[in-house]
Amino acid sequence: MFLTKMPLNPRRRGARKLLGSPQALHAAVQAGFADPSPTEEGRVLWRLDTYGQHRVVLYTVSPDKPDFTHLVEQAGWPTTETWQTRDYDPLLDSLRMGQRWQFRLTANPVRSARHKEWTETKPLAHVTVKQQKQWLLDRTTRLGFQLVTSDSASEAEPDLTIVERGTRRFNRQGSDLVTISTATFEGQLEVAEPMALRHALTFGIGRAKAYGCGLLTLAPSLRKGAG
Amino acid sequence: MTVVALRLAGPLQAWGSRSRFVRRETEKAPTKSGVIGMVAAAKGIRRTDPLEELADLRFGVRIDQPGQLLRDFQTAQRPKKEKDGTTSWSSLPLSQRYYVSDAVFLAVLEGERRLVEDIDEAVRSPEFPLYLGRRSCPPAGPVALGVFDSGLEEALATLPWMAGTRRQQRHRANTVRLTTVRDAHPDETDGELVQDIPVSFDPNRRQYAWRTITRGTVEIDNPHGTAEKAEEHDPMASLGG
Repeated sequence: MFLTKMPLNPRRRGARKLLGSPQALHAAVQAGFADPSPTEEGRVLWRLDTYGQHRVVLYTVSPDKPDFTHLVEQAGWPTTETWQTRDYDPLLDSLRMGQRWQFRLTANPVRSARHKEWTETKPLAHVTVKQQKQWLLDRTTRLGFQLVTSDSASEAEPDLTIVERGTRRFNRQGSDLVTISTATFEGQLEVAEPMALRHALTFGIGRAKAYGCGLLTLAPSLRKGAG
Repeated sequence: MTVVALRLAGPLQAWGSRSRFVRRETEKAPTKSGVIGMVAAAKGIRRTDPLEELADLRFGVRIDQPGQLLRDFQTAQRPKKEKDGTTSWSSLPLSQRYYVSDAVFLAVLEGERRLVEDIDEAVRSPEFPLYLGRRSCPPAGPVALGVFDSGLEEALATLPWMAGTRRQQRHRANTVRLTTVRDAHPDETDGELVQDIPVSFDPNRRQYAWRTITRGTVEIDNPHGTAEKAEEHDPMASLGG
Protein backbone atom coordinates (compact mmCIF):
# COMPACT_ATOMS: atom_id res chain seq x y z
CA MET A 1 0.00 0.00 0.00
CA PHE A 2 1.07 3.58 -0.60
CA LEU A 3 0.22 6.90 1.02
CA THR A 4 0.35 9.97 -1.20
CA LYS A 5 0.26 13.62 -0.18
CA MET A 6 -0.47 16.23 -2.78
CA PRO A 7 -1.05 19.93 -2.11
CA LEU A 8 -3.53 21.55 -4.49
CA ASN A 9 -3.56 25.17 -5.61
CA PRO A 10 -7.12 26.40 -4.91
CA ARG A 11 -6.62 29.54 -6.98
CA ARG A 12 -6.56 27.60 -10.24
CA ARG A 13 -9.63 26.99 -12.30
CA GLY A 14 -8.99 23.27 -12.51
CA ALA A 15 -8.74 23.07 -8.75
CA ARG A 16 -12.03 24.91 -8.32
CA LYS A 17 -13.74 22.35 -10.50
CA LEU A 18 -12.25 19.50 -8.50
CA LEU A 19 -12.92 21.06 -5.09
CA GLY A 20 -16.45 21.87 -6.13
CA SER A 21 -17.46 18.33 -6.92
CA PRO A 22 -16.39 15.13 -5.18
CA GLN A 23 -17.52 13.36 -8.34
CA ALA A 24 -14.90 15.21 -10.40
CA LEU A 25 -12.18 14.65 -7.81
CA HIS A 26 -13.05 10.96 -7.57
CA ALA A 27 -12.65 10.67 -11.32
CA ALA A 28 -9.35 12.55 -11.22
CA VAL A 29 -7.96 10.35 -8.42
CA GLN A 30 -9.08 7.15 -10.17
CA ALA A 31 -7.44 8.37 -13.36
CA GLY A 32 -4.10 8.39 -11.54
CA PHE A 33 -4.01 4.60 -11.51
CA ALA A 34 -3.62 2.20 -14.38
CA ASP A 35 -5.79 -0.22 -12.44
CA PRO A 36 -7.77 1.45 -9.68
CA SER A 37 -9.68 -1.68 -8.65
CA PRO A 38 -9.35 -2.98 -5.08
CA THR A 39 -6.92 -5.80 -4.21
CA GLU A 40 -6.75 -8.10 -1.16
CA GLU A 41 -4.51 -5.50 0.45
CA GLY A 42 -6.82 -2.55 0.16
CA ARG A 43 -8.56 -0.06 -2.08
CA VAL A 44 -8.14 3.49 -3.30
CA LEU A 45 -9.21 5.99 -0.65
CA TRP A 46 -8.80 9.75 -0.69
CA ARG A 47 -9.44 12.75 1.51
CA LEU A 48 -9.24 16.47 1.03
CA ASP A 49 -7.93 18.46 4.00
CA THR A 50 -8.44 22.21 4.05
CA TYR A 51 -6.64 24.45 6.51
CA GLY A 52 -7.75 28.04 6.15
CA GLN A 53 -8.41 29.47 2.74
CA HIS A 54 -5.27 28.68 0.82
CA ARG A 55 -3.99 25.37 2.12
CA VAL A 56 -5.64 22.36 0.51
CA VAL A 57 -4.03 18.92 0.67
CA LEU A 58 -5.18 15.74 -1.04
CA TYR A 59 -4.25 12.49 0.71
CA THR A 60 -4.57 9.18 -1.06
CA VAL A 61 -4.09 5.60 0.11
CA SER A 62 -3.83 3.04 -2.67
CA PRO A 63 -2.58 -0.46 -3.52
CA ASP A 64 -0.43 0.95 -6.38
CA LYS A 65 1.70 4.03 -6.76
CA PRO A 66 -0.30 6.84 -8.32
CA ASP A 67 0.70 9.14 -11.16
CA PHE A 68 -0.95 12.51 -10.57
CA THR A 69 0.66 14.39 -13.45
CA HIS A 70 -2.76 15.36 -14.76
CA LEU A 71 -3.72 16.74 -11.34
CA VAL A 72 -0.53 18.78 -11.09
CA GLU A 73 -1.14 20.24 -14.52
CA GLN A 74 -4.75 21.12 -13.82
CA ALA A 75 -4.74 22.04 -10.19
CA GLY A 76 -1.24 22.17 -8.74
CA TRP A 77 2.04 24.02 -9.22
CA PRO A 78 3.46 22.29 -12.31
CA THR A 79 6.94 23.78 -12.04
CA THR A 80 7.54 23.68 -8.30
CA GLU A 81 5.32 21.20 -6.44
CA THR A 82 4.53 17.59 -7.20
CA TRP A 83 3.21 14.83 -4.99
CA GLN A 84 4.98 12.66 -2.43
CA THR A 85 4.33 8.93 -2.27
CA ARG A 86 5.52 6.82 0.66
CA ASP A 87 5.42 3.10 1.21
CA TYR A 88 2.61 2.55 3.73
CA ASP A 89 3.47 -1.05 4.64
CA PRO A 90 6.16 -0.29 7.26
CA LEU A 91 3.62 1.67 9.25
CA LEU A 92 0.89 -0.93 8.76
CA ASP A 93 3.27 -3.67 9.89
CA SER A 94 4.45 -1.68 12.90
CA LEU A 95 0.98 -1.33 14.47
CA ARG A 96 1.06 -2.80 17.97
CA MET A 97 -1.45 -2.97 20.76
CA GLY A 98 -1.27 0.00 23.08
CA GLN A 99 0.33 2.43 20.64
CA ARG A 100 -1.11 5.94 20.64
CA TRP A 101 -1.62 7.95 17.47
CA GLN A 102 -3.13 11.27 16.52
CA PHE A 103 -5.73 10.56 13.86
CA ARG A 104 -7.83 12.39 11.31
CA LEU A 105 -10.82 10.96 9.52
CA THR A 106 -13.44 12.40 7.22
CA ALA A 107 -16.50 10.19 7.27
CA ASN A 108 -20.11 10.06 6.19
CA PRO A 109 -21.96 9.21 9.41
CA VAL A 110 -25.31 7.65 8.52
CA ARG A 111 -27.86 5.38 10.11
CA SER A 112 -30.35 3.11 8.48
CA ALA A 113 -33.81 4.47 9.11
CA ARG A 114 -37.33 4.39 7.83
CA HIS A 115 -39.81 7.23 7.74
CA LYS A 116 -43.42 6.55 8.66
CA GLU A 117 -44.69 6.35 5.11
CA TRP A 118 -41.73 4.45 3.70
CA THR A 119 -41.73 0.74 3.13
CA GLU A 120 -37.95 0.47 2.80
CA THR A 121 -35.17 1.76 5.01
CA LYS A 122 -32.69 4.22 3.66
CA PRO A 123 -29.37 5.57 4.93
CA LEU A 124 -30.06 8.93 6.57
CA ALA A 125 -27.36 11.28 7.80
CA HIS A 126 -26.62 11.92 11.43
CA VAL A 127 -27.16 15.61 11.94
CA THR A 128 -25.81 16.84 15.24
CA VAL A 129 -22.24 16.83 16.50
CA LYS A 130 -23.33 14.56 19.33
CA GLN A 131 -24.85 12.00 16.95
CA GLN A 132 -21.83 12.10 14.67
CA LYS A 133 -19.43 11.56 17.56
CA GLN A 134 -21.56 8.70 18.83
CA TRP A 135 -21.50 7.17 15.35
CA LEU A 136 -17.71 6.90 15.54
CA LEU A 137 -17.66 5.81 19.19
CA ASP A 138 -20.05 2.95 18.34
CA ARG A 139 -17.58 1.67 15.76
CA THR A 140 -14.21 1.97 17.47
CA THR A 141 -14.16 -1.58 18.83
CA ARG A 142 -14.87 -3.08 15.43
CA LEU A 143 -12.25 -0.86 13.83
CA GLY A 144 -9.60 -2.10 16.22
CA PHE A 145 -8.89 0.95 18.34
CA GLN A 146 -10.23 2.90 21.26
CA LEU A 147 -10.20 6.63 21.88
CA VAL A 148 -7.85 7.96 24.50
CA THR A 149 -9.79 9.55 27.31
CA SER A 150 -8.52 12.79 28.67
CA ASP A 151 -9.06 12.40 32.39
CA SER A 152 -8.44 16.08 33.09
CA ALA A 153 -12.13 16.75 33.67
CA SER A 154 -14.19 15.10 36.38
CA GLU A 155 -15.78 12.74 33.85
CA ALA A 156 -13.57 11.00 31.32
CA GLU A 157 -14.14 12.60 27.93
CA PRO A 158 -12.84 10.80 24.85
CA ASP A 159 -10.21 12.81 22.99
CA LEU A 160 -12.33 13.49 19.92
CA THR A 161 -13.37 16.67 18.16
CA ILE A 162 -15.22 17.39 14.97
CA VAL A 163 -13.17 20.02 13.22
CA GLU A 164 -15.38 20.39 10.17
CA ARG A 165 -18.83 19.29 9.16
CA GLY A 166 -21.10 20.00 6.26
CA THR A 167 -23.35 18.69 3.54
CA ARG A 168 -22.08 18.27 0.00
CA ARG A 169 -24.58 18.33 -2.84
CA PHE A 170 -23.29 17.67 -6.32
CA ASN A 171 -24.34 16.16 -9.58
CA ARG A 172 -23.22 12.85 -10.81
CA GLN A 173 -22.56 12.42 -14.49
CA GLY A 174 -26.00 12.34 -15.93
CA SER A 175 -28.00 14.56 -13.68
CA ASP A 176 -28.93 12.82 -10.46
CA LEU A 177 -28.13 14.83 -7.38
CA VAL A 178 -25.97 13.22 -4.71
CA THR A 179 -26.19 14.50 -1.14
CA ILE A 180 -23.68 13.38 1.46
CA SER A 181 -23.17 14.81 4.88
CA THR A 182 -19.58 14.70 6.07
CA ALA A 183 -17.85 15.13 9.40
CA THR A 184 -14.11 15.45 9.93
CA PHE A 185 -12.92 13.91 13.19
CA GLU A 186 -9.62 14.55 14.92
CA GLY A 187 -8.38 13.01 18.13
CA GLN A 188 -6.11 10.51 19.73
CA LEU A 189 -6.54 6.76 19.52
CA GLU A 190 -4.97 3.75 21.15
CA VAL A 191 -4.47 0.60 19.07
CA ALA A 192 -6.48 -2.34 20.40
CA GLU A 193 -6.43 -4.86 17.53
CA PRO A 194 -3.68 -4.19 14.98
CA MET A 195 -5.21 -6.38 12.26
CA ALA A 196 -8.64 -4.74 12.49
CA LEU A 197 -7.10 -1.28 12.46
CA ARG A 198 -4.97 -2.21 9.48
CA HIS A 199 -8.13 -3.20 7.65
CA ALA A 200 -9.77 0.12 8.60
CA LEU A 201 -6.74 2.03 7.32
CA THR A 202 -6.61 0.26 3.97
CA PHE A 203 -10.29 -0.41 3.23
CA GLY A 204 -11.79 2.69 4.78
CA ILE A 205 -14.54 3.44 7.26
CA GLY A 206 -18.21 3.90 6.54
CA ARG A 207 -19.91 4.96 3.35
CA ALA A 208 -19.23 7.34 0.45
CA LYS A 209 -15.62 6.17 0.11
CA ALA A 210 -15.54 7.18 -3.54
CA TYR A 211 -16.44 10.72 -2.52
CA GLY A 212 -13.63 11.43 -0.12
CA CYS A 213 -14.95 9.79 3.02
CA GLY A 214 -13.56 6.92 5.05
CA LEU A 215 -9.80 7.54 4.90
CA LEU A 216 -8.29 7.35 8.38
CA THR A 217 -4.71 8.58 8.73
CA LEU A 218 -2.34 8.40 11.68
CA ALA A 219 0.30 10.85 12.81
CA PRO A 220 2.76 10.56 15.68
CA SER A 221 1.10 11.32 19.00
CA LEU A 222 2.15 14.62 20.51
CA ARG A 223 1.89 13.25 24.02
CA LYS A 224 4.03 10.32 25.03
CA GLY A 225 1.95 7.16 24.97
CA ALA A 226 2.98 3.55 25.25
CA GLY A 227 4.20 3.60 21.64
CA MET B 1 -14.24 62.67 32.20
CA THR B 2 -17.11 60.37 33.04
CA VAL B 3 -19.29 58.40 30.66
CA VAL B 4 -22.58 56.55 30.90
CA ALA B 5 -22.98 53.49 28.71
CA LEU B 6 -26.28 52.21 27.31
CA ARG B 7 -27.05 48.93 25.60
CA LEU B 8 -29.55 49.44 22.80
CA ALA B 9 -30.88 46.10 21.64
CA GLY B 10 -34.25 44.93 20.48
CA PRO B 11 -36.19 43.18 17.74
CA LEU B 12 -36.74 46.51 15.98
CA GLN B 13 -35.05 49.89 16.23
CA ALA B 14 -35.57 53.03 14.17
CA TRP B 15 -33.08 55.88 14.23
CA GLY B 16 -34.14 58.50 11.73
CA SER B 17 -32.17 61.59 10.92
CA ARG B 18 -33.63 62.57 7.57
CA SER B 19 -37.21 61.33 7.65
CA ARG B 20 -39.74 63.42 5.77
CA PHE B 21 -43.48 62.86 5.23
CA VAL B 22 -44.42 59.27 4.41
CA ARG B 23 -40.91 57.86 4.01
CA ARG B 24 -39.51 57.25 7.52
CA GLU B 25 -35.89 56.22 7.13
CA THR B 26 -33.43 54.88 9.65
CA GLU B 27 -29.67 55.24 10.08
CA LYS B 28 -27.51 52.15 10.57
CA ALA B 29 -26.54 53.35 14.05
CA PRO B 30 -28.42 55.18 16.81
CA THR B 31 -28.67 58.93 16.40
CA LYS B 32 -27.84 61.51 19.02
CA SER B 33 -31.33 62.95 18.86
CA GLY B 34 -32.87 59.52 19.35
CA VAL B 35 -30.73 58.62 22.35
CA ILE B 36 -31.02 62.09 23.94
CA GLY B 37 -34.78 61.80 23.45
CA MET B 38 -34.81 58.45 25.21
CA VAL B 39 -32.73 59.84 28.08
CA ALA B 40 -35.04 62.87 28.32
CA ALA B 41 -38.03 60.53 28.52
CA ALA B 42 -36.30 58.59 31.29
CA LYS B 43 -35.66 61.80 33.22
CA GLY B 44 -39.26 62.88 32.77
CA ILE B 45 -38.44 66.02 30.74
CA ARG B 46 -41.50 67.25 28.82
CA ARG B 47 -41.31 67.71 25.07
CA THR B 48 -41.51 71.50 25.37
CA ASP B 49 -38.74 71.77 27.99
CA PRO B 50 -35.24 73.02 27.05
CA LEU B 51 -32.63 70.37 26.25
CA GLU B 52 -29.31 72.25 26.20
CA GLU B 53 -27.86 70.36 29.14
CA LEU B 54 -28.36 66.97 27.46
CA ALA B 55 -27.57 68.10 23.93
CA ASP B 56 -24.14 69.34 25.04
CA LEU B 57 -23.02 65.84 26.08
CA ARG B 58 -20.53 64.18 23.74
CA PHE B 59 -22.08 61.17 22.09
CA GLY B 60 -20.71 58.04 20.40
CA VAL B 61 -22.01 54.62 19.39
CA ARG B 62 -20.48 51.28 18.56
CA ILE B 63 -22.21 48.80 16.25
CA ASP B 64 -21.90 45.52 18.13
CA GLN B 65 -24.34 43.64 15.92
CA PRO B 66 -25.39 45.35 12.71
CA GLY B 67 -28.71 43.56 12.26
CA GLN B 68 -30.71 43.90 9.07
CA LEU B 69 -32.63 46.69 7.42
CA LEU B 70 -36.34 45.97 7.37
CA ARG B 71 -38.94 47.86 5.37
CA ASP B 72 -42.50 48.10 6.55
CA PHE B 73 -44.98 49.18 3.90
CA GLN B 74 -47.83 50.49 6.01
CA THR B 75 -51.40 50.61 4.75
CA ALA B 76 -53.26 51.75 7.82
CA GLN B 77 -56.96 52.65 7.69
CA ARG B 78 -59.03 54.82 9.94
CA PRO B 79 -62.61 53.92 10.93
CA LYS B 80 -65.26 56.60 10.67
CA LYS B 81 -68.77 56.36 12.11
CA GLU B 82 -71.36 57.46 9.53
CA LYS B 83 -74.65 59.14 10.57
CA ASP B 84 -76.63 55.98 9.71
CA GLY B 85 -74.61 53.91 12.22
CA THR B 86 -72.38 52.08 9.71
CA THR B 87 -68.58 52.29 9.88
CA SER B 88 -66.62 53.37 6.83
CA TRP B 89 -62.87 52.97 6.55
CA SER B 90 -60.69 55.62 4.97
CA SER B 91 -57.05 54.98 4.11
CA LEU B 92 -54.29 56.94 5.76
CA PRO B 93 -51.41 57.95 3.46
CA LEU B 94 -49.37 54.89 2.40
CA SER B 95 -46.08 55.06 4.24
CA GLN B 96 -42.71 53.29 4.11
CA ARG B 97 -41.18 52.81 7.55
CA TYR B 98 -37.66 51.44 7.86
CA TYR B 99 -36.28 49.61 10.87
CA VAL B 100 -33.02 47.97 11.90
CA SER B 101 -33.98 44.53 13.12
CA ASP B 102 -32.05 42.29 15.48
CA ALA B 103 -29.25 44.79 16.11
CA VAL B 104 -27.23 45.56 19.23
CA PHE B 105 -25.58 48.93 19.80
CA LEU B 106 -23.47 50.42 22.54
CA ALA B 107 -24.22 54.10 23.06
CA VAL B 108 -21.97 56.25 25.23
CA LEU B 109 -22.61 59.77 26.57
CA GLU B 110 -19.71 61.74 28.02
CA GLY B 111 -20.12 64.66 30.41
CA GLU B 112 -19.84 65.84 33.99
CA ARG B 113 -20.09 63.18 36.66
CA ARG B 114 -23.24 64.51 38.29
CA LEU B 115 -25.15 64.75 35.04
CA VAL B 116 -23.98 61.37 33.84
CA GLU B 117 -24.91 59.66 37.10
CA ASP B 118 -28.35 61.26 36.92
CA ILE B 119 -28.84 59.80 33.45
CA ASP B 120 -27.79 56.33 34.61
CA GLU B 121 -30.23 56.49 37.51
CA ALA B 122 -33.05 57.81 35.34
CA VAL B 123 -32.61 55.04 32.75
CA ARG B 124 -32.80 52.44 35.52
CA SER B 125 -36.14 53.81 36.73
CA PRO B 126 -37.56 55.84 33.85
CA GLU B 127 -40.33 58.39 34.15
CA PHE B 128 -41.75 57.63 30.68
CA PRO B 129 -41.30 54.30 28.87
CA LEU B 130 -37.99 53.87 27.05
CA TYR B 131 -38.04 53.08 23.36
CA LEU B 132 -35.50 52.69 20.61
CA GLY B 133 -36.21 55.57 18.26
CA ARG B 134 -39.89 54.86 17.75
CA ARG B 135 -42.65 54.17 20.21
CA SER B 136 -43.27 50.69 18.76
CA CYS B 137 -39.70 49.54 19.46
CA PRO B 138 -39.22 48.59 23.12
CA PRO B 139 -35.72 47.64 24.26
CA ALA B 140 -34.87 43.99 24.92
CA GLY B 141 -33.08 43.59 28.22
CA PRO B 142 -31.70 46.26 30.56
CA VAL B 143 -30.52 49.45 28.89
CA ALA B 144 -28.22 50.88 31.57
CA LEU B 145 -24.70 49.47 31.70
CA GLY B 146 -23.39 51.85 34.34
CA VAL B 147 -21.09 54.85 34.76
CA PHE B 148 -17.39 54.61 33.91
CA ASP B 149 -14.43 56.88 34.65
CA SER B 150 -13.04 57.16 31.16
CA GLY B 151 -13.27 59.21 28.02
CA LEU B 152 -15.69 58.54 25.17
CA GLU B 153 -13.18 56.92 22.80
CA GLU B 154 -11.72 54.79 25.56
CA ALA B 155 -15.15 53.52 26.60
CA LEU B 156 -16.02 52.59 23.00
CA ALA B 157 -12.73 50.71 22.69
CA THR B 158 -12.78 48.84 26.00
CA LEU B 159 -16.35 47.85 26.88
CA PRO B 160 -16.96 44.17 26.09
CA TRP B 161 -18.60 43.00 22.85
CA MET B 162 -22.35 42.66 23.40
CA ALA B 163 -23.51 40.69 20.38
CA GLY B 164 -25.47 37.49 21.03
CA THR B 165 -23.59 34.42 22.22
CA ARG B 166 -24.37 32.41 19.10
CA ARG B 167 -23.10 35.20 16.89
CA GLN B 168 -19.90 35.46 18.89
CA GLN B 169 -19.35 31.70 18.64
CA ARG B 170 -19.91 31.78 14.90
CA HIS B 171 -17.43 34.64 14.53
CA ARG B 172 -14.66 32.19 15.60
CA ALA B 173 -11.82 34.75 15.55
CA ASN B 174 -10.51 35.92 18.92
CA THR B 175 -10.92 39.60 18.12
CA VAL B 176 -13.61 41.47 16.27
CA ARG B 177 -13.47 44.77 14.42
CA LEU B 178 -16.47 46.96 15.17
CA THR B 179 -17.58 50.23 13.59
CA THR B 180 -17.92 53.31 15.77
CA VAL B 181 -19.71 56.59 15.05
CA ARG B 182 -18.94 59.48 17.41
CA ASP B 183 -19.06 63.25 17.71
CA ALA B 184 -16.01 64.76 16.05
CA HIS B 185 -13.58 66.86 18.07
CA PRO B 186 -13.64 70.55 17.17
CA ASP B 187 -10.24 70.19 15.48
CA GLU B 188 -11.28 67.19 13.35
CA THR B 189 -12.36 68.59 10.02
CA ASP B 190 -12.92 65.47 7.93
CA GLY B 191 -16.24 64.42 9.43
CA GLU B 192 -19.70 64.17 7.92
CA LEU B 193 -22.56 66.48 8.78
CA VAL B 194 -25.89 65.11 9.93
CA GLN B 195 -28.89 67.07 11.13
CA ASP B 196 -29.02 65.34 14.44
CA ILE B 197 -28.70 67.62 17.48
CA PRO B 198 -32.08 67.96 19.18
CA VAL B 199 -32.95 71.62 19.81
CA SER B 200 -36.58 71.04 20.63
CA PHE B 201 -38.83 67.97 20.69
CA ASP B 202 -41.93 70.17 20.76
CA PRO B 203 -44.44 68.20 18.67
CA ASN B 204 -45.64 71.39 16.98
CA ARG B 205 -42.20 72.58 16.00
CA ARG B 206 -39.38 70.06 16.18
CA GLN B 207 -35.93 71.47 15.57
CA TYR B 208 -32.63 69.81 14.95
CA ALA B 209 -29.18 71.35 14.50
CA TRP B 210 -26.23 69.92 12.58
CA ARG B 211 -23.44 67.86 14.10
CA THR B 212 -20.18 66.54 12.71
CA ILE B 213 -19.59 62.80 13.07
CA THR B 214 -16.46 60.70 12.66
CA ARG B 215 -16.58 57.03 11.75
CA GLY B 216 -13.89 54.65 12.93
CA THR B 217 -13.23 51.07 13.95
CA VAL B 218 -12.11 49.44 17.18
CA GLU B 219 -10.71 45.98 17.93
CA ILE B 220 -12.54 44.19 20.74
CA ASP B 221 -11.84 40.78 22.27
CA ASN B 222 -14.32 38.06 21.40
CA PRO B 223 -15.12 36.16 24.61
CA HIS B 224 -16.40 33.18 22.61
CA GLY B 225 -13.59 33.10 20.07
CA THR B 226 -12.41 29.59 19.31
CA ALA B 227 -9.83 30.25 16.64
CA GLU B 228 -6.74 28.35 17.55
CA LYS B 229 -4.18 28.07 14.82
CA ALA B 230 -5.08 24.64 13.52
CA GLU B 231 -2.17 22.25 13.79
CA GLU B 232 -1.92 20.49 10.47
CA HIS B 233 -2.38 16.74 10.66
CA ASP B 234 0.62 15.18 8.90
CA PRO B 235 0.43 11.44 8.28
CA MET B 236 3.73 11.65 6.34
CA ALA B 237 5.59 12.36 9.59
CA SER B 238 5.65 8.71 10.61
CA LEU B 239 6.75 7.55 7.15
CA GLY B 240 10.04 9.39 6.89
CA GLY B 241 8.67 12.85 6.12
